[in-house]
This record gives sequence, C-alpha cells and structure tokens, in this order.
Amino acid sequence: MKTRLIFTMMTAAFVAASPAALAQGFQPSKPIEVVVHTGPGGGNDVLARAIVAIIDKEKLAPVRMQVANKTGGGGLTAMAYVAEKKGDEHTIALFSGNWLTNPLTRTEAKFTIKDLTPVVRLVLEPAVIAVKADAPYKTLKDFIDAAKKNPGQLKQSGGSLTSRDNVVRQLLMKHSGANWTYISFPGGGERIAALLGGHVNMMVIEPQEAGEHIRAGGMRVLAQVTDKRLDSFPNVPTLKEAGFDVPIVPQVRGVVAPPGISREAVAYYEDLFGRLEKTASWKKYLVDNQFENGYMKSAEMGKFFDEFTNNMRGILKEAGVKVVR
Amino acid sequence: MEVINGLLHGFAVALEPFNLFWCFIGVLLGTLIGILPGLGPAATIAMLLPLTFQMNPTSAVIMLAGIYYGAKYGGSTTAILLNVPGESASVVTCLDGYQMAKQGRAGPALGIAAISSFIAGTVGVVLLMLVAPPLSKFALSFSSPEYFALMSLGLAMVVLLAGKSLVKALLAMLVGLWIASMGIDLFSDASRFTFGQTHMLDGVDFVVVAIGVFALGEVLGNMESRQHAQVLPVPKGLRNLLPTWADLKACRFAFLNGSLIGFVIGVLPGAGSTIASFISYGIEKAVSKHPEKFGTGVPEGVAAPEGANNSETGGALVPLLTLGIPGSSTTAILLAAFVLWGLKPGPLMITDNPDLFWGLVASMYVGNVMLLILNLPLVPVFAQLLRVPVYALYPMIFGISIVGVYSVSGSLFDTWMLAVFGLLGYAMRRLDYPSAPLILGLVLGDGMERALRQSLMMSSGDLSILVSRPISAVMLFLAVLILVLPMFRKANAWRVKALEEQS
Repeated sequence: MKTRLIFTMMTAAFVAASPAALAQGFQPSKPIEVVVHTGPGGGNDVLARAIVAIIDKEKLAPVRMQVANKTGGGGLTAMAYVAEKKGDEHTIALFSGNWLTNPLTRTEAKFTIKDLTPVVRLVLEPAVIAVKADAPYKTLKDFIDAAKKNPGQLKQSGGSLTSRDNVVRQLLMKHSGANWTYISFPGGGERIAALLGGHVNMMVIEPQEAGEHIRAGGMRVLAQVTDKRLDSFPNVPTLKEAGFDVPIVPQVRGVVAPPGISREAVAYYEDLFGRLEKTASWKKYLVDNQFENGYMKSAEMGKFFDEFTNNMRGILKEAGVKVVR
Repeated sequence: MEVINGLLHGFAVALEPFNLFWCFIGVLLGTLIGILPGLGPAATIAMLLPLTFQMNPTSAVIMLAGIYYGAKYGGSTTAILLNVPGESASVVTCLDGYQMAKQGRAGPALGIAAISSFIAGTVGVVLLMLVAPPLSKFALSFSSPEYFALMSLGLAMVVLLAGKSLVKALLAMLVGLWIASMGIDLFSDASRFTFGQTHMLDGVDFVVVAIGVFALGEVLGNMESRQHAQVLPVPKGLRNLLPTWADLKACRFAFLNGSLIGFVIGVLPGAGSTIASFISYGIEKAVSKHPEKFGTGVPEGVAAPEGANNSETGGALVPLLTLGIPGSSTTAILLAAFVLWGLKPGPLMITDNPDLFWGLVASMYVGNVMLLILNLPLVPVFAQLLRVPVYALYPMIFGISIVGVYSVSGSLFDTWMLAVFGLLGYAMRRLDYPSAPLILGLVLGDGMERALRQSLMMSSGDLSILVSRPISAVMLFLAVLILVLPMFRKANAWRVKALEEQS
C-alpha cells in the first residue's frame, strides 16, 4: 500500500515536470471517433484499425476509439466532415498525402488541411522501383536509357496522376530527359498484376508488397525511393546512389483534429500518440509493414504541410495537371 | 495425391471443435449481413478485425472467409421477396426471383437460390483446391484489352435483357453508362458531371441506383394499382414453399453454368461478382429453349446468377492466396488481415502456411454445408414475410432501403440520391423502359472505359491491340455474335412471313 502511494506521488511529480503536464488538462469522456477517408481495407482504414487495436491492447486511452469511414473525393469528404466538427474534442482523423495534394486540383474542395488542427505525423512509407524478374534492366540507369531510346514506349503502372507513383516518374523524367507512359489502375492489385503479366515494364511499389514477389522470384528491385537504404534491401541503391538525385517523396500518414479545439486537447492527443509510438507493438507493426517512423509533433507540422504542398504544386504543374489553388 | 493429403490434413484442422465454432459464427454473421441491404462483408470484416488479433490466424481466416461467402447466400433473400437487392450481385436475382415471388413462388425461388449457392460454392472450392496455381497464370495473362473485351461481352447482354423494345433497352443502357462516367476521371484527374458537389466526386454509388430503381420504383408503381391488402400470394402448406423436382431439373444446366462462369470471372482481379452474375444470366437465356420466359419468373433465372455469385468467392481467393493480389474491397481487407496477423501474403504464402490454406479450403466445404442447413429451414419463415399487409410492408421496404443506403456511405446526400433514382425507376416503369439494362451499363461503364483507355495507352493509340490478342479477339467476336444473331432471327422471321403471304 505504502509503496503504491509513493509510486503514485512519484508519477505525479514526473507528470508535473514533463511536457505532458498540459495533457492532463483534457481527458476524453466519451468514445473517440477516428475518421478515415478510405473504405474498409484501404490504406488509412487498415492503419486506423491497427492503431485502435494497439491503443486498446496497451490500454493507452481511458475510452474506446472507433473508426468511421467517410469515403469520397479522395479525402475531401472526410476533410469536410472533420472541418465541420469545429471544436469537437472527441474526433480525430488520419490524413495521408491525398489530403495535402487533392485540394490543389479540385475546385470542389471546400477545405484544405490548413483548416484542420495538426496533431502528429506518424509514419512515412518508403517505396521501391520494381521490374519483372525477367526484364532486361539490371539497374535504374538501364531502364532510363531504354526509355530514352524509345520515347513513350516503356510503360509504368500506377494510381492516379496525383499519386506518389506518378510524382516519382515526373521527377525522374525531368532529371534524366527520358519519357515513358504512365497507365493508371484504380487498385493496387491490378497494378501488380499488370507488371507480373508483362503488360507494363515498371512500377513504384511498397517494399512489403515487393518483398514477397522478390522472394518468389517474380520481381526485381532497381532502386529505393528513400534517403537511406532500408534494412530489408541492403543491396539496393537509393535514387541518389543510383545516380538520380531527385527529391524524395514519401507517402505520409498522421493525425489531425477539427479546427478550434483547446490546446489541452491537442496536447492530450500528441501525448497519446507519443506513448503509442514507444510501444513494442507499434514498433513491430512498423517493421512488419516496412514503414518508417515519421513521428513529428504538432508545432512543426504547419511548416511540413506548407513544404509538401508547395513541392507537389510545382510537380503537378509540370505534369500538366490543372492546379486550382 | 498431394491434394488428397493436403485436404485430409485440412479437414483435420477445420473439424477441430474450435475451428468449427468460428466457421459457424462466420457463416451465421455472413448470412445476416447478406440479408440486410447496405452493410456488406467488407465493412463487417473490417469491424471484426481487432477481435481476431487474439485468435490464431487459421481460425481467424476461417471465420472471416465464412462472413465473405456467407454474405453471398443471404443477398438473394430481399432481392426475391422485396425486389431490394441485398448486395450488388443480387440485382440479377431480382429479375426472375421477384417475378417468381409475385406468382406465389417465393419459397421455391429462395430454395433454388440456396441450393444453387450451395452447389456453386462447393464447385468453387473444388476448383480453388485443384487449379489455383495454373489459374493464377491465366489471371496474369488478362490485361486491359481482355478486360475491355470481357466488358463488351457483358454489355452485349443488353440484347438478352431487353423486353419488348430493343431501342428502349439501349436508351436505358446509355443512361447507365452516363451515370457510370460521373465523378473523377482517373486518367486526367478532371471532374465529370459533379455539378460542383464534393459528394459527386466518387460518382454515384451502385447500391443507391440499384435500390432506388428496383425497390423504390417497384413500390411506387404498385402503390398506384392498390388492388390487394396483401402484396403477393403466399400458398399454404410446406410443400408449396420448397422447389419441386421440375424446378431443380430445369436448373441442371444453370447450376453448372453459374459455377463455372462465376469461378472463371472471379479469378480475374479486375472483374467482380456483379459482372459474373450478369454474364451467367445472359448465357442461361441464350442457350435456353424458352428464352422469352426469362424475366417472367423462371427458376433458371435465379439459379444461374446466384450460382455465379457464390462460386465467384472461390475464384477471387485464387489471386489473393497464390499471388497476394486482391480483386475487391473484401479481398483487400482479408489481405490487410494477413499482414496484421504477421503472415506474408504473396506467391509463397500457400507453401509457407499449408495449414492455413488447406484448413481454409476444408472449412469452406464445411461452411457451405452449414449454410445450406442454415438457409433451407429459413425459407418458409422468410416466405411468411409476404403475408404482411401492404400498408405495413411498403413503409418497411422504404425504411430498409433508406437505412441500407445510409449504412454504406453514412451520408444524407446519398439518401436524397436514392429518392431521385426511386422516381427515375417509377418513371421507367410507367413508360415501359426495362431497368436491368440501366444497371448493366452502370456496372460495366466505368471498368470498360478504363480498360479501353488503358489499352490505347499501351498501344500508343493503335486500336488493333483489341483484336490482335487471341483471348480478347474471341470475346469481342462473341459479343458481336450476340448482338447480330437476333437481327438475323428477326430477318428470317420476316422472310418466312413474306413467303407465307406469297404462297
């Protein structure tokens, strides 16, 4: 009993001294709604459900968290939903790169990410450039040289024009002067099927997905879209090492909240995800999915949003996509 | 031999009491969410995912797969009884199923749906077990030109779905194609027909149109006629509630057709069960001795699409398990579940985890039997639903429709859209336009346009890519054949008539 009291006092003293003190000013009193913009099975939906499961398992929050799928417009519906919940301290949302990029090209967008309250950045997802295992290209330079010889003849499968796949292509084409065709497929599965079936020549793919196809002998990785080599691909050069010094565009995911919530609530969520980030379950989740820890606090995120958006604006303009803001 | 060993091992896994229990929970949940329109297997699996972290992956996948194929059994119930498609693939079941119910044969229709689902579901698992690896190569050989040809073949089915007037059917199909083009264009990132609305950026949800045009259109149409206190006749006696031998005999070919078409189309990641059900219905009608009776309540018209819909599950698991490639939102969430459980989905998953693969296959045999036992006794129970008088039943259909639509997107905008499409369905009924071609155009339009543009990007604008590839050429030829044959038949009929008049 006595030891417990001392322990409680020590904890209290520790809390008072730490930056987390502010977080004590707010405690959630009812279930927290976690808004995602994809349907069940989409990238952010899966991430949200993993986060909820880990927070639940490690008992990090006093209340339940439930995922709400607000699909539509590549994130615009979810953003509007969150923006209209002004001052609601029991709603948070997971954002992804779409939330930053899509308002740039859509006149229909009523809100941008700047209308929401940044909480934390959580993960950065690296990518690798893959070709079919029996393709003649051994290095990225081989591929680019082949593309230069036959302008427009080589093909890359990917998502929409604003997706990371196309951004990497635009940057590489600008840097090298080569030119190849980009074919959009709505589903990740179809993009991989197009490559494995030999219908396209190259794709930008997540390392976790590529890993299994490489192990089975179906794919080869030419370069990784990262600043430094991933543990899982120690022998594959980064873009810079392969001779293509272009900006690295990671897929980014993190947490935002409605506008107009109290500083205490922001601090609470910042602290909650700070504790999540330190759990072994979270670390294992990152390793299993080959994500990078991209933890960043609320205060720095405004600058990150601006830089990311400005970069994308330039890239999209060059890609010939109409930018509206 | 390897297959027999694997399967025996699989049954040892699947018949463990613990796994049997989870299999039952899965198929029971699946049946329930299948019956309720709106909430689909993808959303249910996503919600249950956190629960499965404590389970071993084999039990978990047995349960989640049970939800997936169980939902396909339930989807036909509201389609047959109320003309409300419980999920997108049940739209075709409405065509003859609801007509059967109108003739007081709701019981036999539900029974045929359950039996066909059982046969096709089982055939799907047999094929999954025997031919999965070679078929995954076939799936990869399919690319945009082949998808375009497949969708063209599907669109040609409009001839078979047309009622009295082919022109009206084509007009309805064009409206469907137009609705399919709404939303963001994937290739240029431009918005089309969104009228400045954020809600319209993803286009119009298929469920909204299908429920509006079919269910609400039907209710509005019937309210005008207002003859009976009871909507549909329900005969007394258990025997009248189950399919007769004659029904089953008439469906012999439909069982086979549905099973095979469903599986083959299921294997292709870019197709889906709705297309499978339309195509198998079209084939059934094309080879039938009495094609003119389709749409008036023939049991084959229920058996073929329901079979295709169920065997599609076995097919869709082929690319998922052998390549780690999902073809639908439900298989995508299963894939995500594999990753969360620490399995590595991909080409080596079956070799790495034989327990999981064979356990799943065996559990699907067991699960299909459970579903049949679960569903057949429910047939008479559900058929009684039609005894509910009109003044209670119609508001109930409205309620189910609105809740179903709202539960898909959680947006009120979609419920307004439902009202718009309900009025459209009513107008089409009054003016004698068939609604199935509209749905056909809507289902195929998006994928067809995409496949065509992808093909042309692959060939730098050369149209010959569509006919220079053998699979694609054969399917396009069949599509043209389906379109042209009825014209010959008609011309022939005229000639015979003219000759008769001359002599």
